Amino acid sequence: MKEWQPKILAFLCNWCSYAGADLAGVSRIQYPPNIRVIRVPCSGRINPISIMKCLQNGFDGVLVSGCHPGDCHYITGNYYARRKFAVLKTLLEFIGIEPGRVQFSWVSAGEGEKFAEVIKKVTEDVKKLGPAKKLVKI
Amino acid sequence: MSSNAPNKSVLVVGAGIAGIQASLDLAELGADVHLIEETPSIGGRMPQLDKTFPTNDCSLCILAPKMSECARHPGITLHPCSSLTSISGEPGNFVCEITEQAKYVDPEKCVACGLCEQKCPTKVVDEFDMHLRKRKAIYRYFLQSIPSNYVIDAEHCLYLTKGACRLCEKICEAHAINFEDKDKVISLNCGAVVLSSGIDPHDPIVHAQYGYKRFKNVVTSLEFERMLSASGPLMGHVTVPSNGKEPKRIAFIQCVGSRDVENKNDYCSSVCCMYAIKQAIIAKEHIKGLEPTIFFMDIRAFGKDFDKYYERAESQYGVKFVRSKVARISESNGGTLRLRFSQENGKRKEEDFDMAILSIGLEPRKKMEKFADCLDIKLDEYGFARTSLFEPLNTTKDGIFVCGAMSGPKDIPESVMSASGAVAECTKFLALERQEKVSKKEFPPEKDVIGDRPRVGVFICHCGINIAGVVDVPQAVDFAKNLPNVEHTEDLLYACSQDCLDTIKEKIKEHNLNRVVVASCTPRTHEPLFRETLREAGLNQYLFEMANIRDQCSWAHMNEPELATEKAKDLIQMAIAKARNLVPLKRLPIDINPKALVIGGGLAGMTAALVVARAGYEVHLVEKDSELGGNLKDIYSTLEGDDPQKLLQETIKEVKENNSITVYTNAKIEEIAGYIGNFKTKVKTGNKKSEIEHGIVVVATGAKEYETKEYLYGKNKRVVTQLEFEKLLHTEKIKEYKPRSIVMIQCVNSREEERLYCSRVCCGAAVKNSLKLKEIYPSADIYVLYRDVRTYGLKEKYFGTARDKGIVFIRYDLEHKPQVEPMDKDNPDSKLLIKTMDPILDAQVVIEADLLVLSVSIDALQENKELAKLLKVPLNADGFFLEAHVKLRPVDFATDGIFVCGLAHGPKYIEESMVQAKAAASRALTILSKKTIEAEGTICWVNPDKCSGCGVCVEICAYSAIELNEEGIAEINEALCKGCGACTASCRSGAIDLRGFTDDQIFEAVNAVEI
Amino acid sequence: MENIEKQLRETVKKLLKEKKVDLVIGYSKGTLPLHSTPVFITHEKDVDNLIFDATCGNNLAKYLGKSRKPKTKNRKPIGIIVKGCDGRSIVQHIVENQIKREEIIIIGVPCDGVIDTRKLEEKVGRKEVLKYQVEGEKIIVEGKDFKNSLKKKEILSDSCLMCKYPNPPVYDIFVGEPVPVNENRKPNTDNLESLSPDKRWEYFEKEISKCIRCYACRNACPLCYCEECFVDQSGPQWFGKSPDLSDTMIFHIVRTLHTAGRCVSCGACTRACPTGVNLAPLGIRMEKEIKDRFGYTAGLDTEATPPMADWNENDKQEFIM
Repeated sequence: MKEWQPKILAFLCNWCSYAGADLAGVSRIQYPPNIRVIRVPCSGRINPISIMKCLQNGFDGVLVSGCHPGDCHYITGNYYARRKFAVLKTLLEFIGIEPGRVQFSWVSAGEGEKFAEVIKKVTEDVKKLGPAKKLVKI
Repeated sequence: MSSNAPNKSVLVVGAGIAGIQASLDLAELGADVHLIEETPSIGGRMPQLDKTFPTNDCSLCILAPKMSECARHPGITLHPCSSLTSISGEPGNFVCEITEQAKYVDPEKCVACGLCEQKCPTKVVDEFDMHLRKRKAIYRYFLQSIPSNYVIDAEHCLYLTKGACRLCEKICEAHAINFEDKDKVISLNCGAVVLSSGIDPHDPIVHAQYGYKRFKNVVTSLEFERMLSASGPLMGHVTVPSNGKEPKRIAFIQCVGSRDVENKNDYCSSVCCMYAIKQAIIAKEHIKGLEPTIFFMDIRAFGKDFDKYYERAESQYGVKFVRSKVARISESNGGTLRLRFSQENGKRKEEDFDMAILSIGLEPRKKMEKFADCLDIKLDEYGFARTSLFEPLNTTKDGIFVCGAMSGPKDIPESVMSASGAVAECTKFLALERQEKVSKKEFPPEKDVIGDRPRVGVFICHCGINIAGVVDVPQAVDFAKNLPNVEHTEDLLYACSQDCLDTIKEKIKEHNLNRVVVASCTPRTHEPLFRETLREAGLNQYLFEMANIRDQCSWAHMNEPELATEKAKDLIQMAIAKARNLVPLKRLPIDINPKALVIGGGLAGMTAALVVARAGYEVHLVEKDSELGGNLKDIYSTLEGDDPQKLLQETIKEVKENNSITVYTNAKIEEIAGYIGNFKTKVKTGNKKSEIEHGIVVVATGAKEYETKEYLYGKNKRVVTQLEFEKLLHTEKIKEYKPRSIVMIQCVNSREEERLYCSRVCCGAAVKNSLKLKEIYPSADIYVLYRDVRTYGLKEKYFGTARDKGIVFIRYDLEHKPQVEPMDKDNPDSKLLIKTMDPILDAQVVIEADLLVLSVSIDALQENKELAKLLKVPLNADGFFLEAHVKLRPVDFATDGIFVCGLAHGPKYIEESMVQAKAAASRALTILSKKTIEAEGTICWVNPDKCSGCGVCVEICAYSAIELNEEGIAEINEALCKGCGACTASCRSGAIDLRGFTDDQIFEAVNAVEI
Repeated sequence: MENIEKQLRETVKKLLKEKKVDLVIGYSKGTLPLHSTPVFITHEKDVDNLIFDATCGNNLAKYLGKSRKPKTKNRKPIGIIVKGCDGRSIVQHIVENQIKREEIIIIGVPCDGVIDTRKLEEKVGRKEVLKYQVEGEKIIVEGKDFKNSLKKKEILSDSCLMCKYPNPPVYDIFVGEPVPVNENRKPNTDNLESLSPDKRWEYFEKEISKCIRCYACRNACPLCYCEECFVDQSGPQWFGKSPDLSDTMIFHIVRTLHTAGRCVSCGACTRACPTGVNLAPLGIRMEKEIKDRFGYTAGLDTEATPPMADWNENDKQEFIM
């Protein structure tokens, strides 16, 4: 039997994290093929509703990645995102969603290696948790 | 044709950040720019840097968008691997000879797949990575190079040197290798030339005492920067070169090759203190428990917000600062380095470190002399391009300008400012007209697709074997074929090659496609190309979506072809789902009123006004005082010997005589409404009120000397400020004081908790006025009590002169501030006794002074707050105007159409204010020179029926693009929106959406993935 | 209490008489014992209907409406009777541009807490309470064939037991004596947080599965004033509208996110719920997080920037890789 492969949705900001993901590829740094990427202009564009939608659809994990604080192409977008995600993460964990399901990272355009590390970690975490059940609409 | 025909062409030499900025500004003004660069890529030094101070911004993240903008701009032609060999002719009509080296790779054909690099057998040390890594003989200068194509290093290529190999040619499926390529000489006819060829790092081999190259663990700061870089040879994991372990203790040695009389580098490199602090902070962030120590003479944190960074490094990060010049380094067993140094009190000390980083200075390029000869320009005593103080962007030859560090050490924002400033100087030699159209290229009319059922065309790229070698492309094609709304699916060998682009255009027509998906590489580099193809085919460019199945799929999952194929299919399906929901977007044209408002009639404001007026645009110059001149009225001399009063009078005269400038004195701005291109401002002068319509705003409101209460100021007439002292010196009044002994105290109210910033000019002013006093009273004793002497850049030389003349510099620190008391307690104006701790003598010294001069801080104006509110632009914590980006947009605000210069932005010298004013003016000209500009296409819009007027979006928008209207409903100013979507994601009622990244599109993309 | 009601009626009468307001929002007796109902007083003669006691659980800020509608532009200020939590909700309305400070006259009353009828039911069973009387810390409830003396804190709303703001922070007139503030109180969900994530999930699953999607919680909430709630949207219709557990759970999660940094934990949602879903812990947990993380307490300062529309360079980011 084939090993179960989780599916993880990754929202990446165009200017840093998406560029970091590109750099990982250009540098041929290998990472697990479990992510499906949605490119957005800024981590500030990511509405928690869309993260909830991913969880409802059965994605086993969701990653949101933006520019490091101070690097935001839109000056402050990631600062607002950081507040939104802090609150979302607390609430999801309070309700009993496993901490590894929804994760966040800052990856700059120069951090191809870090991008790969982040994907490795998220994939491993999600694999350990097993297929998502809570919140999934059957 | 007469050779005197007006010329729109301009040559920019050197594509570092200064050259890039100059090219972008010139091209925006409508010039035809030729940007030449010696290396195979534009970018210069910045891509080598990991982070930038004082914000720790990722250097590449902020530079890359400018690089691609530069490469894409229709007004800029890039000439990589090229150098300027000669210039002849006259300003306005130069003939420039350029040698373009053979690259042996056809940039039109190369798709940068990298197969050649894998095959190439020859390894060469990599100069970009400071020799810390090897590259191949066919290579890219760095991973994010622009242009992105490979080049062959002829010096090392086996075939080109020994006549055998050609492996790259065999593997290249794009047939891009061309061993027949030859060096070319091109001749360009240009109206003006901008030189921006930068600097070289100092080679520390001459400092035998530090053992560079002898001791493995002694590295230069630039090498260390590459080590720190996440994309560098160590992937950011710094290790000790001798043993590969993480270092515990590292030492930074400052002023290696700077402030060094012995090696004839008696100037300050201006940037090393800050980059050492930055590297120490970043290294500490990388390595837990790391103990960095910085050995320095003075910490020169003179720039905006630098002192706060310095303070944070010490208090928050625990970076240790030791005021000492390291005498020598020796190596003990295992590679540990022993540093010997004298402490300030003369006591010797030794400490061991795992690594030593030499903070090497900035030097003129090695070939400068020859280069200067070819161009017939003169160099200064160090070998930097010679300029004069008040014309810091002019070389000694008319029509040839200089920017960046080529004329002396500069950090990034100063280089950017000088680049934009040089553009202002160029304009008088270029025949530029107001630009009618936004785009230079003609496209067929766009087909109306609204209401049509989506007909999606899907093109899946093999990218040679880059994608197809991992992802099963035929399987992906079969999969895509059967998805809803997909009318046509096709695989292409190289989607970006011209023949494939033609195929896409044909298929759009043949199948009446109204949405296009290309699954290939990254939209970051290729989206513009495909969008243009859609336009050529008569489709709106926003009806396009990409699936990144190379950079983020085949290249990252090379050993898992099946899973990579699954992922690619999902990514394609997501792209199709989004494409179905794409709608055509318009870029709203915004008319530009070709008039400028300049606020502030000091030197910066007048300089900016003159640049704009000389270019033929109307300027309204608003000054709150009764006369023009600002702070410059109180400056009587400069360190370099130039006459500021003459400059002032000439500038005022030119302003008054220029018919395009309307001056308002005793004026107050009461209201500013509108946005880029269309401002309306109400100005009150006396009882008269006028309304000005204008397209841009330059803020040049200045600053003032702080009204201090320290050190008996205001109580004893022998205590004066540095500005007052300067006035005394230039009148007879100084005689009244019979100055035999005078004391100056530096950093009064600067660099303390309330004003934790350096006022930048006071050290220079103290040196200047000390030297002046010495001229008048050679026997006078002068004591300067300082915290750090910050005579940065080429001003360092005068600090040396002052010491040679016997002026005594005594350091104090905040814990032991000097004590001042009157000698005669009953006489309020008696001579003064100044007591201070001398750290060298390690004892208190007492000085009798006839005069005490206080170098008081430069303070932001209180009125800034009001103006900032009117303009909706931010101030920093100290009350100075905060630019859009401290590194790369030093004169712009985040809000388009508003610019800043002079002391309003932060303390600076006269010449720096002038450069910044010219920069602000030329940034303003990039707007004024267009009849219309285009707003972004991917911007936000409000559904008024859903808006409940809570105002979260208004708070959040970084560009002041949202306001609540009279009904309390949010409205977006399309001219200001940058399309980040922060408002969209924060709107609870879903009333705002972001075009191009709509909720619907994200929803459909999420739903497209089958779990 | 009676004393307060007397003073309250006099105050309102005076306001109406002096034409300072032409409408006062307050409470009157409901049709059932231990229930009150919001009342809109426009005439002096109706003033005696006003009550204020531990049954006044509605958050009256809900009834203010919006100032920006042009038709309401020239009206006189509205008088509104507010407990601590209602007062804080009004502050939020001012912060969020829903009403202007000068458009309302805030009549503050001290609040000892309001009764959670569901808790009462647990104590007395499904019996009809006909009469009740408050005696210090006790409440005596009487029905057809029973009389119980209950400790007040046993039947007060959970939110009230944690309330640190029993008196409105902003008011024009204050009626009665302010309730002493218990500084030791703070938002607390420790009992739930001591459970394992799976146990918590079980708890919330059980609670939320009671939800019938009637939206009484949303209708009672002073902050749910969106023109269109996200669950009612189409284009995209993010989530389903039926009482499917996933859809319902997400409705409550997102509603909690939307009220984060604004919710004052008045408990009106929980008290309004006909099926007894205990929603209060969600809001309380958020209130705690917003306070700990951003140092912000909702509903205290009319000039404040809402925490979710604000940022600080040094915001904690321990959860970000």
